[in-house]
Amino acid sequence: MPSSRKIRSTAVAVLIAAGAAGVPAIAQQAKPTPPTAAEWAALAKLPDFTGVWEVGFGPPGGRGGAGSGRGARAGGPPAGPQLTPAYAARRQARMANPPEDSQAANCLPPGMPGIMGQPYPMEFLLTPGLVTIVIEAYTQVRHIYTDGRPLPDDPDPKFHGTSVGRWEADTLVVETVGFSPQTDIAANTPHSDKMKIVERFRLSDPDTMTIETTVTDADALAAPWVSNRTLRRHRAWTIAEYICEENNRNSVDANGKAGINIKK
Amino acid sequence: MRIWSFGRLVIWSFAAALALSVSLSAHHSFAAFDMTKEQTITGIVSRFDWTNPHTFIWVDVTNDKGVTESWAIEGMSPNYLGRRGWSKNSVKPGEKITVSIRPLKEGKTGGMFIRAQIGDRVLMPTGTPTDER
Repeated sequence: MPSSRKIRSTAVAVLIAAGAAGVPAIAQQAKPTPPTAAEWAALAKLPDFTGVWEVGFGPPGGRGGAGSGRGARAGGPPAGPQLTPAYAARRQARMANPPEDSQAANCLPPGMPGIMGQPYPMEFLLTPGLVTIVIEAYTQVRHIYTDGRPLPDDPDPKFHGTSVGRWEADTLVVETVGFSPQTDIAANTPHSDKMKIVERFRLSDPDTMTIETTVTDADALAAPWVSNRTLRRHRAWTIAEYICEENNRNSVDANGKAGINIKK
Repeated sequence: MRIWSFGRLVIWSFAAALALSVSLSAHHSFAAFDMTKEQTITGIVSRFDWTNPHTFIWVDVTNDKGVTESWAIEGMSPNYLGRRGWSKNSVKPGEKITVSIRPLKEGKTGGMFIRAQIGDRVLMPTGTPTDER
């Protein structure tokens, strides 16, 4: 049985070692400081993104090649991503025996970029150093850090990736990297770990927001895929609860077979 | 809840079909439904699920053999419909309802909501978004 004195000295040694290892990692991060009154006041000078917005479902107005963008069905020219031969082959393999549905039928959120095109509203919140997008569909949230931090070199894969943003005049430019392999560029179109998404948010009139989304992926895409969305502001709307598991009767199984439970 | 003229009904049916073809696909595909068929059923509402990700109208329908079957009619979410004039009280148990649907495949007693009539009220899957909420 070790003496209490020995335990103490061991603990101190461990703490010193941990501290030495931890110092460089901590030094890389910006020192967190509380927002100042000036930073809160500066928000008032930014374009007014506040409130609840809903995507319009007109023709998508995309460019960058033929394919299967979600908007392609709504009319207008096909606007899907243009794939490299290797990823076109992967897509072809998936489409040889296409699943009847995506995992969204099992309530798995689509992640980026699909989450930004849902038929539900989203709310923009601006605070010092951060733009937060509260997304009603699947009760999701995106955090866009506007405090000057760089994108991570080796991000953990996430459904929404890791986002940083900056203001270029009246446009919020958001760069996002590090996506989960469970997300797709478009339906049945996988991405590589090189996928990067740049979104340009701006007000085209007081209650209309446009988002130009550019997806690049050196492995998967032969050309950048650019698409545009238009959102309408609804001043009186609030974000509603959306618990997908509340009464989800749809499903897709491991073989891609879609199902529906109509047992009362 | 609105009462529609025939002309507006036609226009909104078209708009609704277009909107639905995009909207419903957000959560799931149409694989379970026969999108080439439209079927109309009449019966008595037994339950209305005002729930995410979809509403369900449960209708007791007496078939041509005199047997009462329970039909499950899937509609858009309360979030979507609630911003377009519907409420949890739009459909009530005990009401007689006539519903047009895209029927489920394999002869299952259910389908996807197209439109419905309860008395003189016509229920559409979409409408003009309201700024009430």
